[in-house]
Amino acid sequence: KRSERERFARVMGPAPTGQQLRGATGGPEVIEPSFEGTGKKGKKPSSRKRGVTESQVENLLQPVKLSKAELYKEPTNEELNRLRETEILFHSSLLRLQVEELLKEVRLSEKKKDRIDAFLLEVNHRIKRVPSTPESELTDQAWLPAGIRVPFHQVPYTVKGSFHFLPPAQVTVVGSYLLGTCIRPDITVDMALTMPREILQDKDLLNQRYFRKRALYLAHLAHHLAQDPLFGSVRFSYTNGCHMKPSLLLRPHGKDERLVTVRLHPCPPSDFFRPCRLLPTKNNVRSAWYRGQSPPEDDPPTPHYNTCVLQDTALGSHVQLLSNVLGSAPGLKDGVALLKVWLRQRELDKGLGGFSGFLISMLVAFLVSTRKIHTTMSGYQVLRSVLQFLATTDLTVNGISLCLSSDPSLPALADFHQAFPVVFLDPSGRLNLCADVTASTYHQVQHEARLSMTLLDSKTDDGFQLLLMTPKPMIRAFDHVLHLRPLSRLQAACHQLKLWPELQDNGGDYISASLGPLTTLLEKGLGSRLQLLAHSRPPVPEWDINQDPPKHKDSGTLTLGLLLQPEGLTTVLELGPEADQPEAVEFRQFWGSRSELRRFQDGAIREAVVWEAASLCQKRLIPHKVVTHLLALHADIPDNCVHYVGGFLDALLQGLKETSSTGEEALAVAICYYDDLSRMLWGLEGLPLTVSAVQGAHPVLRYTEVFPPTPVQPACSFYEQLRERASLLPRLDKPCPAYVEPISMVCHLEGSGQWPQEAEAIRRVRAAFQLRLAELLRQQHGLLCRATATHTDVLKDGFVFRIRVAYQREPQILKEVRSPQGMISLRDTPESLRLERDTRHLPLLTSALHGLQQQHPAFSGVARLAKRWVRAQLLGEGFSDESLDLVAAALFLHPEPFTPPSSPQVGFLRFLSLVSTFDWKNNPLIVNLNNELTAEEQVEIRSSFLAARTRLPVMVIITPQDRKSSVWTQDGPSAQILQQLVILAAKALPVLEKQLMDPWGPGDIRTVFRPPLDMYDVLIHLYARHIPRHRQAVDSPAASFCRGLLNKPGPSSLMPVLGYDPPQLYLAQLRAAFGDLALFFYDQHGGEVIGVLWKPTSFQPQPFKASSTKGHMVVSQSGELVLLPNIEAILEDFAVMGEGLVQAVEARSERWTV
Amino acid sequence: MVARRRKRVAGDLEAGVPSPPGYYAIPIKFSAKQRASHYLYVREHRVREGTQSAWPQKRTLFVLNVPPYCNEECLTRLLSPCGTVQSVELQEKPDLAESAKEPKSKFFHPTPIPGFQVAYVVFQKPSGVSAALTLKGPLLVSTESHPVKSGIHKWISDYADSVTDPEALRVEVDTFMEAYDQKIAAEEEKAKEEEGVPDEEGWVKVTRRGRRPVLPRTEAASLRVLEKEKRKRARKELLNFYAWQHRETKMEHLAQLRKKFEEDKQRIELMRAQRKFRPY
Repeated sequence: KRSERERFARVMGPAPTGQQLRGATGGPEVIEPSFEGTGKKGKKPSSRKRGVTESQVENLLQPVKLSKAELYKEPTNEELNRLRETEILFHSSLLRLQVEELLKEVRLSEKKKDRIDAFLLEVNHRIKRVPSTPESELTDQAWLPAGIRVPFHQVPYTVKGSFHFLPPAQVTVVGSYLLGTCIRPDITVDMALTMPREILQDKDLLNQRYFRKRALYLAHLAHHLAQDPLFGSVRFSYTNGCHMKPSLLLRPHGKDERLVTVRLHPCPPSDFFRPCRLLPTKNNVRSAWYRGQSPPEDDPPTPHYNTCVLQDTALGSHVQLLSNVLGSAPGLKDGVALLKVWLRQRELDKGLGGFSGFLISMLVAFLVSTRKIHTTMSGYQVLRSVLQFLATTDLTVNGISLCLSSDPSLPALADFHQAFPVVFLDPSGRLNLCADVTASTYHQVQHEARLSMTLLDSKTDDGFQLLLMTPKPMIRAFDHVLHLRPLSRLQAACHQLKLWPELQDNGGDYISASLGPLTTLLEKGLGSRLQLLAHSRPPVPEWDINQDPPKHKDSGTLTLGLLLQPEGLTTVLELGPEADQPEAVEFRQFWGSRSELRRFQDGAIREAVVWEAASLCQKRLIPHKVVTHLLALHADIPDNCVHYVGGFLDALLQGLKETSSTGEEALAVAICYYDDLSRMLWGLEGLPLTVSAVQGAHPVLRYTEVFPPTPVQPACSFYEQLRERASLLPRLDKPCPAYVEPISMVCHLEGSGQWPQEAEAIRRVRAAFQLRLAELLRQQHGLLCRATATHTDVLKDGFVFRIRVAYQREPQILKEVRSPQGMISLRDTPESLRLERDTRHLPLLTSALHGLQQQHPAFSGVARLAKRWVRAQLLGEGFSDESLDLVAAALFLHPEPFTPPSSPQVGFLRFLSLVSTFDWKNNPLIVNLNNELTAEEQVEIRSSFLAARTRLPVMVIITPQDRKSSVWTQDGPSAQILQQLVILAAKALPVLEKQLMDPWGPGDIRTVFRPPLDMYDVLIHLYARHIPRHRQAVDSPAASFCRGLLNKPGPSSLMPVLGYDPPQLYLAQLRAAFGDLALFFYDQHGGEVIGVLWKPTSFQPQPFKASSTKGHMVVSQSGELVLLPNIEAILEDFAVMGEGLVQAVEARSERWTV
Repeated sequence: MVARRRKRVAGDLEAGVPSPPGYYAIPIKFSAKQRASHYLYVREHRVREGTQSAWPQKRTLFVLNVPPYCNEECLTRLLSPCGTVQSVELQEKPDLAESAKEPKSKFFHPTPIPGFQVAYVVFQKPSGVSAALTLKGPLLVSTESHPVKSGIHKWISDYADSVTDPEALRVEVDTFMEAYDQKIAAEEEKAKEEEGVPDEEGWVKVTRRGRRPVLPRTEAASLRVLEKEKRKRARKELLNFYAWQHRETKMEHLAQLRKKFEEDKQRIELMRAQRKFRPY
């Protein structure tokens, strides 16, 4: 029993659970940090628990208090220097400290370095002692011991030449370990083994002979090293993912196994091959050998093949160069480390053709040589300069070179541009360092650099966090993602695209060969819809030495990420050239059968492609059609090999009957009727005061209502009819009628001095206005209206609007307090705050978000998915509609380090990520609507937030209209509910991401939308008959009850039943009666179950007090009379109060103690 | 578990329901169908000497823990066997200093959803109280002859009630505003009479309606005046004129930097504690 209690306490936060944080003095129990209480269920010793509470106190930022003496003491020289340095070299002192901390985290410690050094020494000895072998033909591999496979695809097998093993002439450590720029985790040390000249022959450059020898060399080495007990594992891999260049991975034995990986790269003596043979225009793989037939013309050049050889010869000289540049400049080393982190967070550095750490180091060296970077610069400045350079230059057009000599025998840059998409030459002037980098990868780097530069320039406080600490996995960074599988299809694609020279050049690696042409094809086809196309880089495989190297088709899937352009998505037309122009032929060829001749309104006859899409959600998925069409047409990849991930989550927003739209259109229709009605109000004649403004105040009017309203046509026979008040009433013997929520709007009247100045009287006058409004709308526009004291309901074309008249000065009058001296001062009262919220803040917010939707068409989808998810987790009651809308808006207004989402899918993933990682305790979420807050104002908001933290709600959302109080989160969530949401989001995000990244289909996409029910103490099951929104449930029932609606519009002169939702009424009663004892959770969108959680405090025996007897009973416990909740009676009350609605009350009796 | 519980309930019945000192416990159930019951804790309403109370001494029964489905009417019915009930008042919590409540308008002050309440039951005779203190339960809120609506029945009838009669509303508004206008007119009349007329000590009351209206006495207005004064003074001040002023601004700048630095250090400390510097 005790452990149960404790579990509960842990889920719900520290023991004294006040529902509300506000008013808690000192406020240590604001929010538990997100990593605590996540799933650890064992018993904790009490001392540990105290530790948790203590750390909570620490985890809250306190305003800094420094004594006067400390603040104003004479500064020391050192202090002044540091302050000045910070000012010059860094952005702010905070950034400096953060960078220092980060570097400490990724740097290798001295102790580990020593251990690695010792290991390297050992490796060196062992390698030197590997015995040599007698000479044999390259094709005769019988000398290799059984159990060792050559790490090379030997296709074609026959090749001339002979091989024998000799220990390496030289073993040197190269790469980042030597330079001190390697970063944790995954420390790898690269070792270059120079093969002795005797092994190599003159013509080894030709037809992969060198590479085969290299592979055999490694195979023999692997065989001997594998027998050595020093090594925990000996495996093969590829150098930089290049399939022609295997390398050997050595890991220490025992506990150090994860400490370091040593990579062995055999290489030729640096002057063995004649450089002039390796120019990008030369051929070194003969077609006659590779394809078994001579091509009609000359052999095609093999630039990639040549580069691979050149890379091996230049290992030493590159290390030399880098150590010269970086050696004595700690700032540059810091910079390289930061850049590596930057690349890693963006998944740019890994795989074949990645923008590796070596490349970025060379880039730093280049910038030093062009004096863009100085050796005294700090790491941050290096980062900034490199990003600036990447953002502003284009290496696909103007390549750069580290070569200083002007030797005329060197090839021209233009030759390289011909052969490679991206050009960056090394000091020799012959080797392109970016040979493997595809244009897409480079564009992605450029794009990221540009984003990062705007972020650094924008002076937000969190630049560091967003730049270096936020991972950008592909699924969260790109609007749509598509997987191509199986990869063997690409082989056929290569033939279809006639890429034989490329295959020859890449040694048969059809993935690398086809990647470039495929991305170009799709980029051209997607045109204005596309902002950026990125592809995943094939991962570098690792395999055991007794296995064959993995086949090309085994390297997973090829994943493409599409970053869409919202403006381009709105069009369904691809406009081609005029029919009689020569380009028309090309256009027709490109689009194939989709291209049609069309005549346009201006009389032009053009080629055009038209995609059928009626709704926004279909338009968003046009890229899918484009991609499948083009791939099938040009690359022979059928559509079942393309798995397009973009619209899976749309299903959760679609209504039951229409699957073609995600509701944006239906919302637009409702807004259209709202506009009509507001025009009517403007022109209304006969009101004592004219209407000065009409403002929307409902989620429908800001496109964020999860399920858009549909026009209602009630079937009268289904209802009780109250003719004299022109209203329909629900009937007892029928299922609950359809839920109709009035769309509320606020109507402001022109100013007047005639209003009474007393709260009660103002209410009466307002009521008179409501009555008059109803009367006039009926007389002048023939609308069905019903007035009450606070609002007027209007039925217009099947939509029900609720108009509230507002008087500007009313909140102020409610606030007035007269002091004994007769001074009138203004004090906030709950009533005035509510009124201000409903009549001032809500309309402002609604119009601001309505505007946001016009800018970002995906906003509606994201906000609705987010709300849908929160409510499906049964937490909807804790979060106001507006607060969730604002969190969704933040994703669009502050997307850094991403770009604003253009699809609901990516927006929802980022919502989950934001919710689960945001430090709600120490930061306000600033939502800068309409960009009204300046940077200075934001800084001020942050500092005043810290000072007022304990008085503010748990979740603080600041908008330009509401800079202090966070109106929308005042009434919740409580710390525990927010914590629960954080935990659920953190769990849902990886699950959903994994589903979407699964190339074989997402499985059940609704998994993350189903709430966990095992944490609740009592479950109240409801009858679907009386749940009006039953069909909105996550798992929509196949059949439900008739809700009294007609399909065709019929004449109706009676007001439909408004806002009648039995589960909500039931919950309100439960909360009023048992709110002190328990929390109630329910999904308003068709939930069939109410979760009840007893509060941990309610089971502590209390002494008898007249004020705390509610629902309790007196029990004698060890001679004392104490109060305990009367659980059995309460459980029966649950059933009594929900008579007709409640199906069963399922008590999980082991969950509480009586 | 269930068995144990049942046994305990049975034991309780034999030994009599435990009740806190001074109170008497009466079991109450919604209907005969329910097995477990709530308990009303009742005692005679008493106040300390000298305290005013709206309820008559001796004749008033004070009831705690009235379930939400039990309204005034129902309580009257349940307690009438003890003697004629004069009035029943349900409240959210015990309220001793009861002031005379004027009946609130049902249009403008909808009654909140009830939870567990306390009740003051006034009997016509003191004997009713003593009879109630020996009442054996369990009381049944809803019976065949007097059913109490709950669940769907209740919500439907509540919805029907919530559809307002515009005519009744109009009448209410008109009568209220008439009374209000009269009240305001009377006040104004009075103010007009007092205008410029010194009272017995010779003071003249100055009002906003006079010939020369004065500033309203509100906090905002007085703050505005203060702000104006401050600005006027600030305009006259010389800044960075004397050497010490220079020195002080520099020092102030340094202090700001130091403060910022301290804040940043604290932030870093916190992030380090949360392991926020692990990039992946």
